[in-house]
Amino acid sequence: MDGPHGRGKKEKSERNTTYGRIVLIGVFGAVIWGLVGYLSYLLNFTKYGPALILTPLFGAKGYFKSDAANQFSGILALAVASIFVGIVYKWTLGRVKIIWVSIAFGLILWVFVFYILQPLVPGLLPVSKLDRNTIITTLCLFVLYGLFVGYSIAYDMTSSESSRTNGQ
Amino acid sequence: MEERVGIGTSFDVGVREMKILGRKIQIYYCNSLVDALFVIEILRELLRLVNEHRPVSDVKNVIKNHLAHEQVKEIQTMDEAVDNMLSGLIVLFIDGETVGLVIDTRHYPGRQPEEPDVERVVRGARDGFTENIIENVGLIRRRLRDERFRSEILRVGERSKTDVSLCYLKDVANPGLVDTLRKGLKEIEVDGVPMADKSIEEFLVKQGLNPFPLVRYTERPDVAAIHILEGHVLVVTDTSPSIIIFPTTIFHHMQHAEEYRQTPVVGAFLRWARFIGILTSVFLVPLWLVLVLNDSTLPDWLQFLGPHNHKYHVPILLQVLIADIGIEIIRMAAIHTPTSLSTALGLIAAVLIGQIGVQVGVFTSEVILYTSLAAIGGFSTPSYELSVANKIVRVVLIFSSALFGIPGFVVGSTLFVIYLARVENLNTPYLWPFIPFNPKAMADVLIRTAVPLSRIRPSIVRPLDKRRQPAR
Repeated sequence: MDGPHGRGKKEKSERNTTYGRIVLIGVFGAVIWGLVGYLSYLLNFTKYGPALILTPLFGAKGYFKSDAANQFSGILALAVASIFVGIVYKWTLGRVKIIWVSIAFGLILWVFVFYILQPLVPGLLPVSKLDRNTIITTLCLFVLYGLFVGYSIAYDMTSSESSRTNGQ
Repeated sequence: MEERVGIGTSFDVGVREMKILGRKIQIYYCNSLVDALFVIEILRELLRLVNEHRPVSDVKNVIKNHLAHEQVKEIQTMDEAVDNMLSGLIVLFIDGETVGLVIDTRHYPGRQPEEPDVERVVRGARDGFTENIIENVGLIRRRLRDERFRSEILRVGERSKTDVSLCYLKDVANPGLVDTLRKGLKEIEVDGVPMADKSIEEFLVKQGLNPFPLVRYTERPDVAAIHILEGHVLVVTDTSPSIIIFPTTIFHHMQHAEEYRQTPVVGAFLRWARFIGILTSVFLVPLWLVLVLNDSTLPDWLQFLGPHNHKYHVPILLQVLIADIGIEIIRMAAIHTPTSLSTALGLIAAVLIGQIGVQVGVFTSEVILYTSLAAIGGFSTPSYELSVANKIVRVVLIFSSALFGIPGFVVGSTLFVIYLARVENLNTPYLWPFIPFNPKAMADVLIRTAVPLSRIRPSIVRPLDKRRQPAR
């Protein structure tokens, strides 16, 4: 089975699993931390729930009548967006298996959303007008999300490479 | 020889001299560790030789042939002789020969296998490890009759000379891990390890100030055998019934044999209940504290929370801390109290302190409720070590919540997760398979899969042989 043909086939399937893996990591990262975000929104730790991502499309009021439905569809939208975040991470920082890099990635993502995308998002106040609790809670959520997605992808890429070299 | 081991001073070491086949022989023994019946049997066989007065040319081999025991070994040096004798073997010297004969007649004081206290199951095997390394390895081998099962033995401790055994499957366990552990064990230089497994663990993993347990212990042979099959490496230490499993993640500390004795659905349910219990033990009290201390942000649907009876005189933070430490004291007291008195202790704890504490006005009922819930969550943690570490985290979170309010709680929890994700021992991320995320392994953690469906070994042990069942 170790002929050139078998080898190539195996490598291809491994590469496929890495992309499938990134999709899974992205989706689960968004769902897990989206739910935590929803919980902290329910507990009034932050003013913005996961539905924030839908406001550029449907306005600050949201598409559904009930807030819960808006928030859950927000989590779904986050899951889709998160796949792209995962792919971007793979292309940029995927090879660095350092936990702080992933955390910094989360911080950068927060800065990107709350400073650069802020004018595009109706209902999102500028950071200077946000209350302390919201800033800190969202910051922590982004950090945890960055850690989860970034470190998982980096660990996956580095460990699948090393197992491949071990195999040969 | 007599000088070295102190024959005549120590009462439990001795020597017997005899004359057999015209030669003088000496038998050294340590009577607290040998089985006298075996020794008598061997001596009787030797004495039969005395009667045959034929001249023999090869005395040593004749005597060796007549030692009625399956484990007879020749040794060259005095050091070996002393080591063996003090391990409970008997050493036989023949006048005029350069080698000694060692016969394994060990019989260590010990107990029979019993069901371990901390890992009880409703159904299933009731045997547990004992303090005897031979019996312990025997209990594992009874479950794994594989020719590829290896149990290497090493000696640790300059004075205690404790036997330590590395158990693994040769074609499954990661050789790098086995080498690391073997090297770690050989590098230990200490006079003795009476605290056996724990001391060994402290030499093998760098604990530092981390309160979280980095290795899992088990006292159940079936749990040990499962982990060997998964590709883990076990360290068995003589004089201890706890066996160390390498490598471990935090989720290993959240599993219990009982889950595997029930149907998969029930097992999964038990596991979820347990997860909730563990999360409760860490986050419930700080969360409640942060909610009630920040009245202004308390959402409408939670308005029922909090002390409505404002007749308390002690600040809430202090109440929570007193209650938490009180529970810890009661728990410690219960360990040392004989069973006959512990009912009385429980009564005092529950009725007097709880009830009357509220009536007097020291505590509010909510504090008692939430700290008790957290304590019960702690008791439901299968690993005692983990529950204590969680308690420390809870106290830290309580402090940060009380001092800094919502940001304190949120940042504290975040740092807690980051801290756990950063911990790594023997190349194993501590939060695996959550961070770094591994979907399949995480599913295994969240729902207990049926044994016929778990076809591959967990990737975290980097097994040589990935499959548990032949590929179909």
